[in-house]
Amino acid sequence: MPNLAYQFERFGLILVWLAVIALFGAMRPDTFLTWSNFSSIFGSEAVLVIVTLALLIPLTAGDFDLSVAQTLTFVSMLTAILSARMGVPLGYIIPIVLLCGALVGVVNGLITIYFRVHSLIVTLGVGTFLHGITLWMSDSQTISGVSRALMQYVIIQRLFGIPISFYYAIIIAAIVWYVLSYTAFGQQLLFTGRGREVGRLTGVAVGRVRVAAFVASGVMGAIAGILYTGTTGSANPNSGTALLLPAFAAAFLGATCIKPGRFNAWGSVIAVYFLVTGINGLSVLGFRTYVHDLFYGGALVVAVMVSQLVSGRKERAL
Amino acid sequence: MPGEILGLLGKNGSGKSTLIKILSGFHKPDEGTLEIDGRPVALPIPLGRSETFGLSFVHQNLGLLPEATVLENLIAGDHERVSPWFINWNAEAARARGLFEEQQLDLDPWAVVADLSPVKRAQLAIVRAADRVRAHREHSSPGILILDEPTPFLPIEDVRELFAMMRRLTQSGVSIVFVSHDIDEVMEITDRATVLRDGAVVASFETAASERSRIAEAIVGHSVTQGRVVGDSPAGDVVARVEGLAGAILKPLDLEVRPGEILGLTGLIGSGYDEVPYLLSGAQAASAGRLTLASRTYDLTTLKPAQAIDAGIVFIPADRQKAGLSLDLSLTENAMLPLAVRGEGRFRLDHRQREETTAGLMRRFVVKAQSPRQAAAELSGGNQQKLLLGKWLQLGPKLALLDEPTQGIDIGARREIYDRLMEACARGAAVICASSEFEQLEMIAHRVLVFERGRLKAELVGGDVTKSSIERACYGETKLHA
Repeated sequence: MPNLAYQFERFGLILVWLAVIALFGAMRPDTFLTWSNFSSIFGSEAVLVIVTLALLIPLTAGDFDLSVAQTLTFVSMLTAILSARMGVPLGYIIPIVLLCGALVGVVNGLITIYFRVHSLIVTLGVGTFLHGITLWMSDSQTISGVSRALMQYVIIQRLFGIPISFYYAIIIAAIVWYVLSYTAFGQQLLFTGRGREVGRLTGVAVGRVRVAAFVASGVMGAIAGILYTGTTGSANPNSGTALLLPAFAAAFLGATCIKPGRFNAWGSVIAVYFLVTGINGLSVLGFRTYVHDLFYGGALVVAVMVSQLVSGRKERAL
Repeated sequence: MPGEILGLLGKNGSGKSTLIKILSGFHKPDEGTLEIDGRPVALPIPLGRSETFGLSFVHQNLGLLPEATVLENLIAGDHERVSPWFINWNAEAARARGLFEEQQLDLDPWAVVADLSPVKRAQLAIVRAADRVRAHREHSSPGILILDEPTPFLPIEDVRELFAMMRRLTQSGVSIVFVSHDIDEVMEITDRATVLRDGAVVASFETAASERSRIAEAIVGHSVTQGRVVGDSPAGDVVARVEGLAGAILKPLDLEVRPGEILGLTGLIGSGYDEVPYLLSGAQAASAGRLTLASRTYDLTTLKPAQAIDAGIVFIPADRQKAGLSLDLSLTENAMLPLAVRGEGRFRLDHRQREETTAGLMRRFVVKAQSPRQAAAELSGGNQQKLLLGKWLQLGPKLALLDEPTQGIDIGARREIYDRLMEACARGAAVICASSEFEQLEMIAHRVLVFERGRLKAELVGGDVTKSSIERACYGETKLHA
């Protein structure tokens, strides 16, 4: 079973990533291939890693959570306002905003399950609604002046030269990986997504599992929101909008490696860093911001095509 | 013949559906000719063109879109008359009203089909088919309607209403071929009846002048006895008692099973027997009923699958690919799911141990596969079914419920499945098996209950459980129609 082709498939994306690094490194060794460039990529994109991991849980359970990026924006703004405008200490802010994230998940989940509406529609609406609240709260302004302690614990402190936010993302990835692979709940999530009727008849409370998945993604969206505010020291009312598509692209691209055919944590982490390396390299070469959209949009479509090819090949092998 | 109602009878696999599929252009016939109104028709009929020959079909599922209105359904697919660029809805509605009035139907063109009663839906499907043949006939005679079992899910009063409509249609010259399992309905409505068995016409009757028993005999024929695999019914105390169980079709039913007993449930399509395993396992909520299992009582209107499993009930559904196994996932994941749901390894799944347990199950249940890590989709149907059996029987159930346990499975795998069921019985499980395959019940059931229109019709025990006795019970006379 563990043949060469399968191993190549598992680690193919890492090879492509290394090839991309080598390519840009050869073209711009002095700007691209520097430790400071890489450490800033690792640190600043931790937010995107966490958003991607947040998407993973409902995706495994067969649901889309389009509201996660707006949960991030909302929490980021709420953190900034509570800290900069009202002077609430961080020790209160963090539990409050995490609770908000969980609440968004509960709303998404209950509407999806009790009204049997497709999660795509529910979370699109809830996300847009949250964005409206964010704009209202902030008067569409960027809010800065956030407590320096937050930045200290997110981006300023470094471990082995990489901002500490990177390690938060890795810890969350490890937790998601463990839950998906080594817990009974992970198996229940999997069957809720891949065989809902099978799961239901085997006693999985599929409704509750789906709500729990939305709550998990809401909480992780909130964590990403706190880190976002900590990374920039401010909150921008449109910050999350640009993260949704890259996160989806990374989640689907991640499902083509490490554990091909499944949404998986480490695959997603690798996919995020592959995507941002590509974009960073292109911008070092002097391309403008439009490459973001070209690259992320293209990656999403290619990832979905590749995963269809993988599953199509399995069917033919029958 | 013009204006005639012809009955087409036969059991499952007798060739009724094949004939219909040839007429609708879905299948190519091997040989033979077809004449309509004395003119030869070239075979095969091009798919979708049968209306131009004056043939129109109503299938059992009626082919209506429930979310759409009566009018939308009525004109759907009527490409030749309705312009693709513009629909004059008011004119169409007026036309529909005229049509309904002519057939004395109480249908509102603007009503949504999902809100209609089942009989009105059937009427709509039939009037649509009649309209279609009439409108598209190349020459002037009124055409032939082929009704493929439109009645099994309707209550008897509604069937009568439908029959009245069919008679009105024949007065306008339309001929009807009425395909059915139900001899009584055929006796009531048809002028002539043709019986198919094993793909050939075995008899034709003038229904008014024929006896019911002769028609039943022609349908059943002489069937070969398969030989029973099970022994005598076990004695023992009753382990599971069901009281007042009712479902969508099923009327209140009481039944009892003993440890080690295999109870078969059967009947013709639409008789409701196949609901029983779903209702007892919590897969579907019953409209009423209680189950007493090992001296604990469960309310079947609120029973959930998880509670049923905790109570020692396992359910192996007929739809193995959607409800039994998740084909994308590995054999281990599928087989170990019941244990994971019950909390085994809640926070620390031991993958090696799960794979070993699965490998053990695969040996016990003779599942042929390369590795427990394989995706379930890579197995043959028989091996999937054996894995499914292993997934559930490993729990050591008190009551095992099965629906069509060997659908689409070859003989060898069937035999292995029967053996595993017998083993479970030997360990004291009670088995309830819903099946439409009478040979199967003859082989494995200690006792068989035969259903008709949601009610228990006959009970066969021990040596009386044979294929032909079940057939006789299914097609035999009933109090209901007498």
